[in-house]
Amino acid sequence: MNLHEKRIPIIKIHDYLIVPIQVDMHDKMAIQLQSQILEEIARTRAKGVLIDISVLEMVDSFIGRMLSGMASMAAIMDTSVVIVGMQPAVAITLVELGLEMPGVDTALNMEKGMEMLERKLNNRKNNSV
Amino acid sequence: MSESINITNIKDRIDRIEDILASVAAGDMEARIQTETEDDFSGIEAAIDLLINDLTEELRQREKVQKELESKLEKIQEQQKTILQQQEDLLELSSPVSKVWDNILILPVIGTLDSQRTQVMMENLLQKIVETGCTISILDITGVPTVDTQVANHLLKTVTAARLLGAECIISGISPAIAQTIVHLGIDLSTIRTKATLQDAMIFAMKQNKRDDEIRALKNIVIPNEHAD
Amino acid sequence: MLEFGNEIKCELLGKFIIENEYDIVTVRQTIRQFAKDAGMGIVDQTRITTAVSELFRNMYNYAGGGEVLIERGEVENHNALIVTCIDKGPGIENLELAMSDGFTSGMGMGYGLPGAKRLVDRFEILSKVNEGTSVRIMKWK
Repeated sequence: MNLHEKRIPIIKIHDYLIVPIQVDMHDKMAIQLQSQILEEIARTRAKGVLIDISVLEMVDSFIGRMLSGMASMAAIMDTSVVIVGMQPAVAITLVELGLEMPGVDTALNMEKGMEMLERKLNNRKNNSV
Repeated sequence: MSESINITNIKDRIDRIEDILASVAAGDMEARIQTETEDDFSGIEAAIDLLINDLTEELRQREKVQKELESKLEKIQEQQKTILQQQEDLLELSSPVSKVWDNILILPVIGTLDSQRTQVMMENLLQKIVETGCTISILDITGVPTVDTQVANHLLKTVTAARLLGAECIISGISPAIAQTIVHLGIDLSTIRTKATLQDAMIFAMKQNKRDDEIRALKNIVIPNEHAD
Repeated sequence: MLEFGNEIKCELLGKFIIENEYDIVTVRQTIRQFAKDAGMGIVDQTRITTAVSELFRNMYNYAGGGEVLIERGEVENHNALIVTCIDKGPGIENLELAMSDGFTSGMGMGYGLPGAKRLVDRFEILSKVNEGTSVRIMKWK
């Protein structure tokens, strides 16, 4: 696997962006991904982002902060982020590391994540009427 | 000079003794001098042979004892392994996670919780959550009289980790003693949901399920896209 | 270079240099493999991989890189995986402060050292200003 070349795809489906992270990221890559997602949100006017980390075997403090930062940044751009499919071992390690990621929405799988985004979108529309 | 020493071939015989001793030292326990000459020196040669015999016997004995000890050790190690395996099995058995309803898991905990058992339990529960896709789990600790701070910490960590996975973990049946321990930890409890009894937790979980179903039904009523124009 | 005393009997499994961000990724993957080979469960594998990732980041950000030793040794009757990170960076002025939660002197938010410490069974640190920092962590089943 060539780490230098690997790019993480950002897929747009309807109002949502789907970001499957399938490589072990180094810090620079994580920062790049963050900017890329934010740019895609602005470009596509996506209402929600699903970040799938189900194959990630490790999330350290840097990537953890990138993910929760991502959620806050998207929120002020009026977009919701859901982190999908975190592995139990990763969750335990993050908690022990002291990164509890308060305020970040999470879902067990893609389907549940999508439902969560739809629910949020509906709530928002109902409230804005 | 009335006493004369009668030795023949002295040089060769000393060389032979050296050779034999060297072989013995190298581990050849069959080597013997076995001199055929009869003179003043042959007594020493015979004595050396006797000593080698003794040594051989001694070594054989020691080897036997060592072998016995080794086999005993092996047996003990085997038993140790079984014990460890059984301990692990017991740990797994003592924390049965079951799916009791659509979307709801229950983990009833009974008995004393030590740090290790709690960790295994926590890992099991989280693994089960991911496997079943259940978003609500109830950790019922009615059967646990007290916990130390370390165990209390693990319990709360489980709740937080479950949230990171995208699931909610409700703790029910907290005894007064455990409540005291948890509050003394000084952890922010606003994100931890607790219910008095397993029944209360179950009712809460079912209500949550119903709410989700209603929302899912609502989904079909599509509200026009905000920026469709 | 700051080195730990050699009171533990160790077998060297590997020696690596961290010079860039790709090294961080490959070496932490190597360590996960060693942890797997040592029979550690998935959670412990993740703990040690995450802990070394924090240490490597510190080493790379503050000292421009350094050396990593991976060893196996007998510690308190446990078969331990031992990772030592040695850099020749600026060193840490106040160790106590650096080891406290939430402290950061530059990049990051200070989960690095105290976080890594919580993830392993033993954590040792030596640091001298203008000489460098060495951190040794141990993890067992």
